[in-house]
Amino acid sequence: MTILRYRLLWLLAVLAVPASAHHGSSISYDTTKQWTTWARVVQFNYKNPHPTMTFEREVQGGVVEPWVSELLTNPSMLARQGWTKRKSEDALAPGTRVKLTLATSRAGGFSGIVMGIQGEDGAPIVGGGRPAQVPDLDGVPGGLQPEGDTMLPGQPVEGGAP
Amino acid sequence: MASMARSTIALPTRSRWSMTCAAVARTLLISALLGVPLVAAQPAAPAPTPGGIGNSDSDTRSYDKRDFSGLWARSPELYGEAPCPECREPVGWPGYGFFGDIPARTEEGQRRMDLNKPARGLELGSAEANARTDLDSGLRRAILPAFGNDPEMRCEPLGLARLITFAGPGAAMELIQQQDRILQTFEWTWDFREIWMDGRRSPNVEDYLPRFNGYSVARWEGDTLVVTSVGFDDRQWIDQHGYPLSSEAVLEERWDRPSPNRLRVQLTLTDPLLYTRPWQASTKVWSLIPKKSMAIAGWSGILEDRCVPSDESMFNQVRDRAAGLGEE
Repeated sequence: MTILRYRLLWLLAVLAVPASAHHGSSISYDTTKQWTTWARVVQFNYKNPHPTMTFEREVQGGVVEPWVSELLTNPSMLARQGWTKRKSEDALAPGTRVKLTLATSRAGGFSGIVMGIQGEDGAPIVGGGRPAQVPDLDGVPGGLQPEGDTMLPGQPVEGGAP
Repeated sequence: MASMARSTIALPTRSRWSMTCAAVARTLLISALLGVPLVAAQPAAPAPTPGGIGNSDSDTRSYDKRDFSGLWARSPELYGEAPCPECREPVGWPGYGFFGDIPARTEEGQRRMDLNKPARGLELGSAEANARTDLDSGLRRAILPAFGNDPEMRCEPLGLARLITFAGPGAAMELIQQQDRILQTFEWTWDFREIWMDGRRSPNVEDYLPRFNGYSVARWEGDTLVVTSVGFDDRQWIDQHGYPLSSEAVLEERWDRPSPNRLRVQLTLTDPLLYTRPWQASTKVWSLIPKKSMAIAGWSGILEDRCVPSDESMFNQVRDRAAGLGEE
């Protein structure tokens, strides 16, 4: 029980750390604007530095959106939580229906970071926690996209230095 | 890893010492949780604060202050061990890094630093970065990783200072101590270095190939192990914030073990080509992790947490999409 308590404390601490600690991800994604959606796994890659996943979500009008994503967590953290490679790959086998908590990339498009994963029974899987109170945008085209055109930090300026 | 989890691996019988440690740790934890003092006369540990100050370890067993052997981590909670507040970086610093008393750069130092484009730290141009003028400019210039050039994101060797100061989830390390040397292994990137204690002197670096982890020799000053490292490959960054290091740099590490379950180091970088004065880092502290606690499916020890170029390349395709690059 104590071990679980300390590990939970640690997990909370890790999740509280800006995602910048994780390969600079907080700058690539707007993690202040998370949302949930149902999705179907296309491919899951349990690899360093962070697992990646492609998935599809069906939106209004029967349109299927192909997304690419990275996971906030990483294999060493997952393995220590018991989510070993085989177990994670089994849980996210191609075709598996999952509920994802996402943050869209700041550049927009079908690109995001996975903050949490739930199976169809509602249980968190592959290190994914239960989603916070964030908008459920299942079926909404594009999910939550950035508003307006903004220059991204470090983005090269046409005809000039970044 | 999956096959590892499914295999039955025969582990060496736990030593009586480690069993005793585990029993003591359990007892202390239970005592702490229940608020029941074990021994009324035990002195209270100083109140710990993040950033290497204080010591939250209340273990009063006798121990060898010159024995650094063991598995060490800066996030003991990950292994089910008691938290170590002083193992964290000082409050107010962005993430983790060398930190401390950051010196001004020489003209050459600033030139080299400007060539390095980190993706960690406070976001360039953000309100927070603009407001935190108390922080060195090097900590306030993070850009999207797709537009940066962090060598870690190409799986290039991190280099010694960055290995030591890394404090992410894979920050575990092991020290294997022998009479004539200490072997230090790092989990993230599965790297290592030797600290020689056989009386040899630092090499004339012109005679040797530069190394990402340098050449390390050590001597005891009381119970503090003073390690001097030279001969660095200057392609490395000192930390994830893109501070450069030249081949003339000298890194001094002062390691000590202030209590049974704590190891700490004070780092000082002297690199007159790039910095106007020696740079003393914030103090780094690790917590001792019992072997049985640092285990997955019964297999203990640090992980082979490599940065594999083909994996990184796959990841970078996703990273680039997040910056609006690549195929939609």
